Amino acid sequence: MGTRRLIARDDLLATLDRAVASKVTIISAPAGSGKTSLLRTWADRPGQGHRLAVMQVQRDRQDAQQFWLVLLSAVRLASGTTSGAGPPAATPEFNGRAMVDRVLSELEDQRGRVILMIDDLHELTSPEALDQLTRLLTNLPPNAHAVLATRHDVRLRLHRLRLAGELAEIRAADLRFTERETRELLDASGIELSEAGVALLRQRTEGWVAGLRLAVISLADHPDPEQFVAEFSGSDRTVAEYLVAEMLERQPDEVLQLLLRTSLLDRVNGELADLLTGRPGSERILLALEDANAFVVSLDSERTWFRYHHLFADLLRLELRRRLPKQVPALHRQAAEWFVQHGQAADAIRHTQAAGDWADAARLLADYSFSLTMDGQEQTVRALLQAFPRGADYPELALIRAGYNLAGGRLDEAAAHLVVAEAYAETAPPDRQRRLRVAIASLKLALAARRGHLAGVTEQARFLDSPVTGQSDEDISLSNDLQAVALMTLGTAEASAGLADAERHLQEGAILARKIGRPYLEVRCLAQVGFASRIRPFATTRRRCQEAIALAEQHGWGAEWYMAPTLITLAGTMVWTGEFDEGGRWLQRTLQALQADTGADIMLLVHIVSGMLQACRGRSHEALQEFSEAQYLGSQLEGSHALASQVTGWMLATQARLGMPGEARASLAELADERASSGEIHDARAVICLAEGDPAGALGAVQDVLDGTAPVVGYGTVVEAQLLAGLAHRQLGDQRAANQAAERALALAEPDRLILPFVMTGSRELLEALPRHQTAHAALLADILDVLHGSSPKADDQSPPHDAEELSPGELRVLRYLPTNLSRPEIAGELSVSRNTVSTHIRNIYAKLQVCDRSSAVQRARELRLLGGRPQALARRSPDRGDV
Amino acid sequence: MDPASARYTIRINGHLGATVLSAFPALASRRHGAHTLLTGVLDRSALYGVLTEIEALGLDLLELRQLAPQRESAESGDSRSP
Repeated sequence: MGTRRLIARDDLLATLDRAVASKVTIISAPAGSGKTSLLRTWADRPGQGHRLAVMQVQRDRQDAQQFWLVLLSAVRLASGTTSGAGPPAATPEFNGRAMVDRVLSELEDQRGRVILMIDDLHELTSPEALDQLTRLLTNLPPNAHAVLATRHDVRLRLHRLRLAGELAEIRAADLRFTERETRELLDASGIELSEAGVALLRQRTEGWVAGLRLAVISLADHPDPEQFVAEFSGSDRTVAEYLVAEMLERQPDEVLQLLLRTSLLDRVNGELADLLTGRPGSERILLALEDANAFVVSLDSERTWFRYHHLFADLLRLELRRRLPKQVPALHRQAAEWFVQHGQAADAIRHTQAAGDWADAARLLADYSFSLTMDGQEQTVRALLQAFPRGADYPELALIRAGYNLAGGRLDEAAAHLVVAEAYAETAPPDRQRRLRVAIASLKLALAARRGHLAGVTEQARFLDSPVTGQSDEDISLSNDLQAVALMTLGTAEASAGLADAERHLQEGAILARKIGRPYLEVRCLAQVGFASRIRPFATTRRRCQEAIALAEQHGWGAEWYMAPTLITLAGTMVWTGEFDEGGRWLQRTLQALQADTGADIMLLVHIVSGMLQACRGRSHEALQEFSEAQYLGSQLEGSHALASQVTGWMLATQARLGMPGEARASLAELADERASSGEIHDARAVICLAEGDPAGALGAVQDVLDGTAPVVGYGTVVEAQLLAGLAHRQLGDQRAANQAAERALALAEPDRLILPFVMTGSRELLEALPRHQTAHAALLADILDVLHGSSPKADDQSPPHDAEELSPGELRVLRYLPTNLSRPEIAGELSVSRNTVSTHIRNIYAKLQVCDRSSAVQRARELRLLGGRPQALARRSPDRGDV
Repeated sequence: MDPASARYTIRINGHLGATVLSAFPALASRRHGAHTLLTGVLDRSALYGVLTEIEALGLDLLELRQLAPQRESAESGDSRSP
C-alpha cells in the first residue's frame, strides 16, 4: 500500500518480539506515540512464523457485539476460513459468553501460532465488552497471543497474567524516537539537517513520534530546514498545534478545504469528500496524502475508505469550527443525506443530530431503530436516543421508548408510549404510516404475550399478512425488517395459543428473513416452527427442528433461550421413537437454554418429556413427579392447552402402575366431563382397570378410542389403546385377540416408527408372544424388543464411559460429520474451517479412538456414545464448554 | 451552582493557540511562563470531558488543582461540557 515511509525501528521491534513471548502485550502510550506504526511495521516484516488476526476498534465503540463480530472476522481471516461461511451475523440478543467461547475455539482450531492484534482499544467504551475481553485474554489457548494498543490503560483485569509473568508492557518512554532514529527518519525523507538541528528537533518534540512526523511533512519541501527547526524550537506553542498549523499553511487550497470539510467524518471516501468540498478529484488527493504519510490511512485494501489520525482529525475539526463556523451544520446535513442514501443509518442520525435538526433525527431514529437493533447496535440506538435535548419531546421516539420499556418489563409504561406512538402514526404520510402500524402491531402483540392476554390480539394483527410495498429500495428494506419481526412475533404468539395459522406465519417469516439476510429472525421463526408443528409426522417435525438447530449453531446461537422450544420438541420426538439416550441429551441441552422467565408452555413440555423419559427408564416415581409438575403448570395457563389430557392421562396411568389405583380413581372422578371423555383419559382408565385386575373393564374403557369416537391428542393414544386392549385380552386368556391388537398397534406405529407407547404400557410379553411369521412389521418389532430389553433402569445415562482419551471440542465437531457421506473438504466447508484443520482433527480422532479408518471410528464413537444413534448433519457444539 | 461543581485550574505545558483553546469554551486561559493555565467551574462529568479532550489533543498535562471555594460572583460560571 503506497510508498509508506515507516522507518525500521530495530530496537523497538526487538522489544516487541521479546514482549510477544508473553501471553499478552499491552502497548499503552498517548496519542501520536507511533503505536499503530509499530504494529504495522512489526506485522509487515516478512518471514513471520505466525498468523495475524488484526483489528482496529472503531471510534467510540459502544456495542460489545460490533466489537466481537469484527474480532471474529479478523480471526477467521487469519485462518483463511472466511470463504463459504460469510461474515458472522449480528443478533439483537448478543451472548458475550458464547461469543468468547466461539473465538477461543476458533483460535484453538488454528494451526500453529496466532497473534491477535487489537489497536485503539481505548475506543472500546462498552464495559461488558472489556469484561468479555478480559475473559478471552486470561483463557487464550497455548498457541495464541494478544497484542493490544491503547492511548491509556484500560480496565482489563489481568493481575493473574501479570503475576504469572505473562503480561508484557510497552509504554510511552519506550516509543520515543532516539536521536539516531530521528536522523534515520529525516534521511528516509530526504531532508538534510545538521546534527545540531536534529538534536534540537528531537529535544523540542521530546521524541514524540507524531510531532516528528508532522515536522517531516513541513520540512520536506521547506527551502530552509535549519530555519524551520530554529523557529519551531523558539516557539512556546504546543507541538501538535504549531506543526499542524505549519503543515496546513503549506497545503494548496483544495487540499486544505478537503481536510477541513471532511474532518467531521469518522471515515471518508472520494465520493463523500467530493460532495462536502463541492468539487471532484478528492480521491486522488486522499491517495496522495496517504502516500505522503500525512496522517491519512486507508481502511481497506482497495483504498476507497480513509480515516485521519485521531489527533490530527481533532485538530482539524477545531480548525474547521474556527474558520468556517457557519458551514458546519450544512456539512453535517450533506453527510447525513449521503449516509441515508447509502443505508448507513447510525452515521446519518449522528450527523443529523450534529446539524441540530432534531425532529428529522427523531424521525430517522424511529424509522431505523428496529433495523439497527437487528444489526446488533442496540447500545448505539440508546446512545442516539440519549443525545436528544432533555425536555424536548418528540412523538416519533415514543415507539422506541415503548420497545425499551417492554424489554425492561415495564409493561404499563410501554402501553402508555404505544398510545402516543399510535396517535403519531395517524399523522404520518401513507408509506411511513404503514411501517409505523406494523411496528406498533408487533409491539402490541409482544406486550399482549407478556401479559398473557393473547385472545383477540392476534385478530388485530391480521393485516400483517399482506405483502410489503414501498417507494424506494430503502423503504422496502426497512419495511421488510419490520414485516419479518412482525411475522415472527405473530407466529410465536399464535403457536403458544395453539392457533393453526402459527406455522404458516412462521414459515413466511423465515422465508422473508432468509431473503433479506436476517439469520437471527430466520432462526427465531424456525425455532418456533418445529414446536408449532408438533402434531405433524414425527420425521417432518424432527427434520425441521434439526434444520433450525443447525442454522442456529452455524451462528453460535445453539444454546440461546429462544432455541428451547425446538430443543425440547426434538427431545420429545427422540423419546417417541425410542432413542432415549439421544432424547436425554437434547433434554439436557434444553435445560441449558432455559431462563428464569421461560414461558409455562415450554416448561410444561420440558416436564412432559422428562416424565416420558423417566417412565421409559422404569423410574415411575420420578415420572409421576414430572407429570404432576406438568399438570400444575397446565392449570396455570390461560385456557386449556393442547396437551392437557395427555398429561393428566399419563399422570393417572403412572399412579395406577405404582400401585395406587385408588388415588388414580379419585382424581379421575374429579375431572370435568370434556376432559374425561378424551382418548388419553380412556387409556388411563384402562390402565387403572388392569391394575385393579379388571381386564374386561379395561376393554370397555378403550372402546371409544379404538372405534375413533373419542378425541385424541395424537395417534400415539390409539397405539396405546390397542396395546392396553392386547394386555387385557391376554389377561382374559384370548391370545388370538391379543395378537391381533398387538399387530394393529405395530401397523399404526410403523410409519413414524413410534416405540414409546410399547415401552410405557409395558408390552414386552405381549410382543414376545406374537409369532414372528404372523406380523407384517418384523423389523419394527425387532427394534422395539431391542429397546424393551435395554430399557431397564441404568445408573446414569449422562456420563458416557471414557476409556478413550478425551476428544477436544474441535475434534468432537468433526466427529459428528464422520457418519455422513461428506468428504473432508465438504466437512471443512460445513464447519467453516480449513481442510488441513479437518485432516488434523481426523488424525487425532483416529489416534484417540485407536482406530485406523472412518467406519471403525464411527463404530467406536457410537460405542462410547460420542455420537447420536443415527448419522445426522449437525455440527453440535459441546454444550459443557460454558465454564472455560 | 451545582453543589458538585468546583473551580479548577489546569496547567498545560506550552502555549495553547486559538485553535486548541476553542476546544475548551467553558474555561478561561492565561499564560504563565512557558505554561498555559485553564480555569473554570466544572462538575464531575465536565471535568472528565476536559481531561478526555486534553488527551485527545495530545496536550501535556502538568497539574490539575481544585481551588478552595470562594465567595465570588461566578464570572465564568458556565459548567457545560465543551
